[in-house]
Order: sequence, then structure tokens, then C-alpha cells
Amino acid sequence: MAPPAQSQRSSSPSQPSGKSEVSDLKLQLRQLAGSRAPGVDDSKRELFKKVISYMTIGIDVSSLFGEMVMCSATSDIVLKKMCYLYVGNYAKVNPDLALLTINFLQRDCHDEDPMIRGLALRSLCSLRVANLVEYLVGPLGSGLKDSNSYVRIVAVIGVLKLYHISVSTCVDADFPSILKHLMLNDSDTQVVANCLSALQEIWSAEASTSEEASREREALISKPVIYYLLNRIKEFSEWAQCLVLELVAKYMPLESDEIFDIMNLLEDRLQHANGAVVLATIKVFLQLTLSLTDVHQQVYERIKAPLLTLVSSGSPEQSYAVLSHLHILVMRAPYIFSSDYKHFYCQYNEPYYVKRLKLEMLTAVANESNTYEIVTELCEYAANVDIPIARESIRAVGKIALQQYDVNAIVDRLLQFLEMEKDYVTAEALVLVKDLLRKYPQWSHDCIAVVGNISSKNVQEPKAKAALIWMLGEYSQDMQDAPYILESLVENWDEEHSAEVRLHLLTAVMKCFFKRPPETQNALGAALAAGIADFHQDVHDRALFYYRILQYNVSVAEHVVNPPKQAVSVFADTQSSEIKDRIFDEFNSLSVVYQKPSYMFTDKEHRGPFEFSDELGNLSIGGEAADNVVSAQRVEANDKDLLLTTSEKEETRGSSNNGTDYTAPYDSSSTSVFASQTRMELEISNPTSAGHAPQASLGIDDLLGLGLPAAPAPSSPQLKLSSKAVLDPSAFQQKWRQLPVALSQECSVSPQGVAAFTSPQALLRHMQSHSIHCIASGGQSPNFKFFFFAQKAEETSNYLVECVINTSSAKAQIKIKADDQSTSSAFSTVFQSALSRFGIP
Amino acid sequence: MLQCIFLLSDSGEVMLEKQLTGHRVDRSICDWFWDHAISQGDAFKSQPVIASPTHYLFQVVREGITFLACTQVEMPPLMGIEFLCRVADVLSDYLGGLNEDVIKDNFVIVYELLDEMIDNGFPLTTEPNILREMIAPPNIVSKVLSVVTGNSSNVSDTLPGATGSCVPWRAADPKYANNEVYVDLVEEMDAVINRDGVLVKCEIYGEVQVNSHLSGLPDLTLSFANPSILDDVRFHPCVRFRPWESHQILSFVPPDGEFKLMSYRVKKLKSTPIYVKPQLTSDAGKCRVNVLVGIRNDPGKTVDSITVQFQLPPCILSADLTSNHGTVNILSNKICSWSINRIPKDKAPSLSGTLVLESELDRLHVFPTFRVGFRIMGVALSGLQIDKLDLRTVPNRLYKGFRALTRAGEFEVRS
Repeated sequence: MAPPAQSQRSSSPSQPSGKSEVSDLKLQLRQLAGSRAPGVDDSKRELFKKVISYMTIGIDVSSLFGEMVMCSATSDIVLKKMCYLYVGNYAKVNPDLALLTINFLQRDCHDEDPMIRGLALRSLCSLRVANLVEYLVGPLGSGLKDSNSYVRIVAVIGVLKLYHISVSTCVDADFPSILKHLMLNDSDTQVVANCLSALQEIWSAEASTSEEASREREALISKPVIYYLLNRIKEFSEWAQCLVLELVAKYMPLESDEIFDIMNLLEDRLQHANGAVVLATIKVFLQLTLSLTDVHQQVYERIKAPLLTLVSSGSPEQSYAVLSHLHILVMRAPYIFSSDYKHFYCQYNEPYYVKRLKLEMLTAVANESNTYEIVTELCEYAANVDIPIARESIRAVGKIALQQYDVNAIVDRLLQFLEMEKDYVTAEALVLVKDLLRKYPQWSHDCIAVVGNISSKNVQEPKAKAALIWMLGEYSQDMQDAPYILESLVENWDEEHSAEVRLHLLTAVMKCFFKRPPETQNALGAALAAGIADFHQDVHDRALFYYRILQYNVSVAEHVVNPPKQAVSVFADTQSSEIKDRIFDEFNSLSVVYQKPSYMFTDKEHRGPFEFSDELGNLSIGGEAADNVVSAQRVEANDKDLLLTTSEKEETRGSSNNGTDYTAPYDSSSTSVFASQTRMELEISNPTSAGHAPQASLGIDDLLGLGLPAAPAPSSPQLKLSSKAVLDPSAFQQKWRQLPVALSQECSVSPQGVAAFTSPQALLRHMQSHSIHCIASGGQSPNFKFFFFAQKAEETSNYLVECVINTSSAKAQIKIKADDQSTSSAFSTVFQSALSRFGIP
Repeated sequence: MLQCIFLLSDSGEVMLEKQLTGHRVDRSICDWFWDHAISQGDAFKSQPVIASPTHYLFQVVREGITFLACTQVEMPPLMGIEFLCRVADVLSDYLGGLNEDVIKDNFVIVYELLDEMIDNGFPLTTEPNILREMIAPPNIVSKVLSVVTGNSSNVSDTLPGATGSCVPWRAADPKYANNEVYVDLVEEMDAVINRDGVLVKCEIYGEVQVNSHLSGLPDLTLSFANPSILDDVRFHPCVRFRPWESHQILSFVPPDGEFKLMSYRVKKLKSTPIYVKPQLTSDAGKCRVNVLVGIRNDPGKTVDSITVQFQLPPCILSADLTSNHGTVNILSNKICSWSINRIPKDKAPSLSGTLVLESELDRLHVFPTFRVGFRIMGVALSGLQIDKLDLRTVPNRLYKGFRALTRAGEFEVRS
């Protein structure tokens, strides 16, 4: 039993021994429940505090649920809060008892104090018990209309919570459209921001099943909404600003004037005290200007100072997050920080993770003008007390050496490291010298002189030892003692634990043998014998191989082991540039910190809202949502450009094929449109003229290649398509706008298909052979976009297809619209099989 | 979107758990995190963003308390980190410091605060002024009051006026009998002097801190005599951007109480106020140390609180160090700390002595970095000067005060 004294110092409880405390609490709570004695609230508060603190340290106090609810009839707000906290924690495991709380929570939702109304509503929505959702709708509905903004703020998030408990209840009560109304009209910006975040989540989740939701989602990044939010940006709290800015980064302005307007408006956000706002703004700037090359460069100049300030003034945690972003910027624009390299000098007090990133930055910004200073600085770290950093900085020196042309001074430094007589410094330096010699064989003379003086006994780390042995073998003609050093190493074969070192030793002895046979013969024999007896499979195999090839023909052996080598010009980079591009597109996200695009580490269901590959599709969807979107006219015009171009090409092709069936579909008006826009069209129609079509370059999206496995093709009755289908572009456009999406799928393109994808034209011809005709195409590598159409044989039923192909991920996204919806899946099968056969002869 | 926040004590105990979304994060993640932190050797060394097998974790460590946030979705990393930093700031502000006991004693308040700061994983408000109106801090006054009146609720009865106000950082209409506003320039000098005694890097990080107690809705303008020296500035949200852009004037409606109006950097300073010259010479298993400190560039005011600290390399067996001025201490973690305070007029302070190296070592290969601390009252070393501070409508009793202070930030001298 707990001594009574313990309840007095309940605030920092000791670990209770067992259940007795809980049952004791139960008893006390029961006594207090009906009491109206003065001061009862204070004793309740003590007890509640105790219960919560037990809960916090992980003791199960769910058995007190009934008593807690009984005690909750109180006007004391702190008691209420503690009770809400308790209830929220245990309601899910006690759904039956949770019903008990509904009553008092609902009553509190009508309290006259807005704070209590809000808190009660928040707790009500946090119960998360599926069979209680019916009780939520009423309070939420009135909460959304509450006169006090605090209650509305809570209610909006409540709707989102409700959505996650029960989608149908939330949608049936028409909450999303109420939120939309609030978002566009509420006077309190926190309400607006919460609506935005809730709607993003709801509509993204709905978009896969509902066409309307996906339209609504697109409408969020339409000009009117974006402008409405931007105009109020300064009223938003800093966190809400992050949310809005994230949305703006997805918006694609159609005119360059807009870009400049937005950037001017957001300029001062770069000086915000909150680093998250600054980084979100930077993302907007970078994304907006992707298509304007020289403005993009100016943006780099502009964001430099705020970024550097964030690095040097924030906490180490903040510096870390910012530095990881700087790294990808430098990859894109190497000169941006080359004169500010001093900001990346390490301070003694900084934590290891910051120093490591700073060293990476120093390596990345090094160029002809600053190499000397940077290397000098790095050399000081090599003598640092902090050994991991000393190692990293030596490696950094090596990396700089490998990327510079003028390595004179650096080689001297590296050789000094070898003479420092610190085993870890020597070890790191040896590995570097090896790499350096592979790239700059002309330095072998200087290096070998120093390396020759290193006693192999002082080198213990496998990597360093392997490097030393490699150099002994490779430059044995220049090193007086090489055969003898190798010989002594072979003698100690059994003491060498690393297979890597033993492998290198075998090869080095072989190389040495070809250069100085008489001196090495003994060592070679011993090495081969030891190698063949080795228990490690690879070592054994290599020794045997050398032995047999020597038996077979010595000159062949020499040719195998010691071929003439060329200097390595560039060492392979571990990360492909495509991945780097993707990470850049995901600027200001965790991807940057992990240096992986998010599809490589988050799983699909947990990916944030909006991360779908619809940016390319915006063009057409924007057109559909014409009533919501002021700018629809322009979007449409753009699509028209796209449509007109290829149909023009198709005409020529059609006539060259046989010229019989094709009727030129233009009326005079569309021809004049065509004539007036020739320039634009040319740019779009030619996918190789990079960078001109803004929608194409902006739309390079991250997640094209993910997720959904290709749907297994159902064995449906074969659909016959007319090989002579005709559809004029304006009719296509009209239909595309009118018809709903019948099917939206993702499928993969065969590797052969990707290989054959040298130009979009090849695909067009291929599809035409399957009676699927292209009406427009555009985009640039790796994203291409096509509009196809097909007609059913002997009927005038049309199928319209929007197909977005990403060649790098070998995925295609297909949206099919059909006059006759019932056959759309059959058509999809035909289309996909046609697509999958592309590139296979 | 954050899914859960944990507060861990310095022994890895979960002090507080706040679930934020319907997706419940199991507590076992903390065990994973703690094992991970231990395996990294030093808990303070592990990265702020970690990928666990199930979640992505943000961690911020303050005063031994680990603030841990979990998420499974993609989100801006800086948002998670900034938010945790703010939580730490607000808590330490509320509780008058951070430690295990104070959090355990006040965990109800911590819960209440978190409840208002973040909902469903999305940060709402972290503005201390507004939070203060929703949840009263547990200060001594309110404790005394609660004893006297018997009302121990620490929740204010009214809702914050600012939630509906267009000046979100300012409480509605405070009233003061004495209107006061104080402006402090607080600068930190970051400098690196390399082995050859060359000043590699020297810059000032400065803050303009304002403490305002003004009635009504005051509109202030602050101007500098030489704003052009500022390299990069960051502002409190209250500062209007246009006047700064066109005339380098700070125009703002201040929050009530203390706040950081702006921060700035001044780069490429040419000289430091004091010099520190370490000399280490090794010979036959011993290393002679000699450190000289003196005024290099007289700032015109007294330089005080001068300290020099350095970490003794691990390969040292014993150290015998003495100084002709001030006190020398060798702390348990092998840090040698020399406090000088002021430099006397008649002599130059120096520290000298010998270090005995481990037996197999002949000379020293790792060289300590000397970290220098100092403070100069009354001077902003960047040279920044406040020109004037104006109020649009001057209240009848107004007191304006200005101060300046420079101290050493990351001031290090390598040997």
C-alpha cells in the first residue's frame, strides 16, 4: 500500500510498485466523485495529477476510466483539461466507456466560455472511436459557425480528425465544402490555414476515387486561391506561412510578370526570423524561376545571404538542416558560395554532424581561387583533438585534390600528413595517395619517396595497408626495398586478418615479380602457397588462378596482372545526376537531409498530401475546372497549341502514308489561330528544344515512377479499333473537357521501350500501327506527354487518352476518357498492350 | 506533419508523451532512439534528423532534455526542428529553466502548452505573448495568489485578444503608468585565428533586443547612424519591410515585453580587441606551454571577464601550469580554464608551464584550440550606432534607454 504521505508529493511520483496504487486511487476518486465539500477540487486536482503522471510514465490506469468520468463534473478548467487528456488517451481502448464521456463533452461544447467550447470540441474529436462519430457531427457543425475564432480553429482540425475516423460521415455532412467556404471567407487567418491543411489532406485522399475531389485539389493551386492566400500572407502565423508557401511552390504561373510579382511580394519573407519560413520561401523562388535561366541564377545570389545567416546564427540542429540544403544548391550552382567558403570553417564547439556537413561543403565549393585557403584550413583540422573530424578533413583534402587540376600544393600537404606519425592520419593519407596516383601518375616519384619511408608495421587499418601494398606492387621498380617489404609481409601471412589485404598482397607480389623476378621469386612462391592454403574462398581462388596462369604462360600472366594502365580521369560519382535532380525538386523536405528522393524512403501510404504526379496533368485538368479557374482561358490556349501542332504533322504523315482517308480538319478560324502561334508551337512540338515550354520543364515531378503496380490485364473481349479514325483537334479538346476520366492508371514501359524512346515520333508511329493516333505531344526528357485518340471499328465511339511517360522511371500514367464508358477498360487493355510492345521488334 | 512528441530525461526516461494524430506512435520508439543514441557514443553527437525503422525522428537537446518528434510523412525538416526549438524556448521561459524536476513538477502545464502550440500535428502558435494569455505561467506570484484566494487555476479566464487581432504578436491594449522602452545592442564576436597567428575569420553576430512597456498600440521607428555596415538582417515579424528596404528604418508595432527585434551579421572585421598568443614547443616527452594575452586594439571601454580555455590532448599524463595573473584550473574533463577577468595596467598576463606526454611519445601531435571569452560593456564592436527612436504618438511619460554590449562568441585561437 502506498503510504498516505505520498499523495502529498504527487508531483514527482516514485515508481509505484504494483496495482495497489491504482486501486487506491480508484477508491479515493470514488469518494470524491459525489462530494460537494469545499476544497474538493483541490484534492481532485491532486488525484488527477497523479493519475496523469502514472499515465505519462507508462502505467496502465485505464481501469480508472469510470471514476475519472464521474469526477469530471466540475467547473475547474485545469481539472477539465486533465480529464480531457486522460479520456483522449484511453477512449480508444475503452470504446464502451467512452460513451460516458460524450455527454459531458457535448455539454461543454455549449459552454459560454469559448475556451471550454474549444477544448471540449478538441477532446471530442480526439476520442477517435468509430461508433461515436454520430455525436461529432452536431458539435462540429456548430463549432464551424462559432462566433469565436478559437472554436473555429479547433473545429476545422476536428473535421480532419473526423475524416480519418469515418470518411463517409465527414463527406455526408458536407464538411469539405463548408471548409472551402471558410477558407475563402474567414476573417481569422489561422482558421484559413487550418482549412487549407485539412482540405489538402482530405482532397488528396479522395482524389483517387472522386473526380470532383481531384478537381478541387487542383483548384487549390489555381491562381485565384493562390493570390488570395498570398495577399494575406503577412497576417498568417509563421507556421501557417510555411503551409501557404509550400502550396505556392506548386503553383505554375503562366506569365513571367506573375513570377516577378510573387517574388516581389515574398522578398521580405527571406528575412523572417523563422528558418522554416525562409527555407519555404527559397523553395518558392527556386521553383518559380526554373524556366528562366538567368533569373534563376540571380535567385541563387539573392538567397545566399539568408542561407548563410541561418547556418551561422541558429542552433546546431538548425544549422544541420540548412547545411544539408546548401549542399544540393552547390551541386546545382557550384560558384554560388565559392567566395563565402569561410562560413563553412568548423568551430571547435560544433557537434560532429555539423562539422561533417561543413567539411562536405568545403570540398564542394573549392575551386581554383580558394583551394589554397581551404586546404590550409583543412590541414589544421588534421591536427585536431577530434579524431573523426581529423580523418574526415584529410579525406576532404584528398577529394579536393582529385577534383582540381593544380594539385601541386595539395600533394605536398598530403605528404606532410604521412610524416605526422599519427597512425590514423597516416592511414587516411595512404588511401588518398593511392587514389591520387591513379589519377596523376606523374606524381609517383615524389610520393613514392615518402611512402617508401613508411614502415608497414605502423600501418594497421586494412584499407590503408591495402593501399600501401598496392603501391608497393605498382611502383616496385622505383622502391628499393619493395620485394623485401612484401616478403616480410608474406611471412606474416597468418597474422593478417583482413582478406582484402591478403588479396592485395597476392596481386602486389605478382606485379613485383614481373618487374624484379630474381628478388621476388621466393616471396611469390611463399605467397602462392599461403594463398592456396587460405581458408578464405576468394583468396584461395585468386592464388590458384595466379598459380595456373603462371603455369600456362608467363607472358599472358604478365599481361593479365600488369597491363598498361591509363590514368583515371574522373572517379565515378556515387549519386546519379537524375537522383540529384529529384532531390532538388523535393527541396525543403526530408529527402534533402537523407540525400534520397522520398520515394526511396517513405512508403506510399505515408507520403504527404499532394505528392502525386499530377503536375504535368494540370494542363488538362485546369481546363476542366474552368469555372473555378480564372486562368483557364490561357491554359486552354496552351493546350490548343499542343493539339494543333501534331495534328499538322499528322496531316503530312497521313498524306504520305496513303493520303486517302485523311480530311484536313481545320476550319478557317483554327487555321488563323495556328498561323498566329506558330512560334510557340514549334517550341512545343520539338521536344529537344529544351527549356522553352514552361509547363514541361516545371512539371518534372518526383513521384512519377512510384507505387501502383501495373494492373493485371483482364482478359476482356478484344476491342477492335478503326485504323482510319478521324478526330479534329477542336473536337478532341471539346470532348476532353466534357468527358469525365473513365480510367486513370499507371503502367510500366518495357526497358526496350525506353531504349527505343529516342524521340516521341517513334512512339507515335508505333501506336498508329495499333490504330491509336496521336493528336498532340510535348515535353522533354525524361517526361513526355501525349494525347492519343482512337475510334471503335464500325462505330463512332471515341477514346481519348492522356499519356504521361517518364523514361527514367519507365512508367506511364494513363488517363482515358471515352464516349462509351463501359468499354473503357477494354480499351485500356488494348492501349497498354500496344504500349508494352513498343520497342520490341 | 508531426505525429507525436516525447520529452526524454537525460537517462532516457519518457517524461511526457503527446500524441498528435489518430496514428498512435508506440512508446517503444523511444527505446529504439535511446539505444541508438547510446550506440553513437555520445547522445549529443547524434544527428537531429534520424531514420528509425518505422518513423523519422527529429531531436533537439536542451539542458539534457531531449525533445523528440516522430513523423512518417514527408515534411520540411526545418519546420520540425524549428518547432522543437520553440517548444524548448517556451518551456524554459515558462518554467524558468529546463531540467527533469521542473518538467515533472509542471507536466500539466507542459501538456496544456503543447495542446495550444500544435494540433493534429500542425503547429498553431508559438508566440510566447499569446500563449501567456491562454495559460498563465506558474510563477511565484500566482502561487502566492492561489494560496491567498484559494483559486489555484493557472488558466486565465479570458481568451487571448490577439487571436482575432491583426497584430498577432501583441496583446490587446496593455496599459502602463510609466511608458518605457529599452533598446539593447548585443553583439557576439566570432573569430578564428590560425596556427600562424593569422586572423582567418572575424565577424559579428548581433541582435537588437527591445524591452517595451508601452500603452495602447505604439508605432515605433528606430534608425541607425550607419546601417550600411550590416550584411544580412533578419527581423521579428512585427518589422515592416518597405521602410527598411527604402530607407533602412525599422518601423514596427512592438510586442509587449522583451523580444528580439532583429538580428544581423557584420562580416570581415579587420581586428580583434584582444590578442591571445599560445606557444607550444615539444622536446623529449615534454611540452612547454606559454600563452600571452593582451590588448590589441583598445575598444575605449574596459574589457572584462576574459577567460581562456583549452582541452588538454588525451595523450597528456600530467600538466603543471601557472599564471602571473588570474587563476588557472584544470577541470575533471581535462579542460584547462584560465580566468583573467581584467588585464592589469602594469603587466601582460601570461600562462606558462609544462605538459608531460605519454611515455612512448616524443612530441605532441595534436594541438589544442584555445577558446577565448571576454565582455565589453558599452560598445558595439561592429561600430553600429543607434541614431534615434521615435514614437508616432508620444505618451505623456516616456522613458527611452539604450545600451550596448559585446562579448566573445566562438572566438578560437589554434596552436
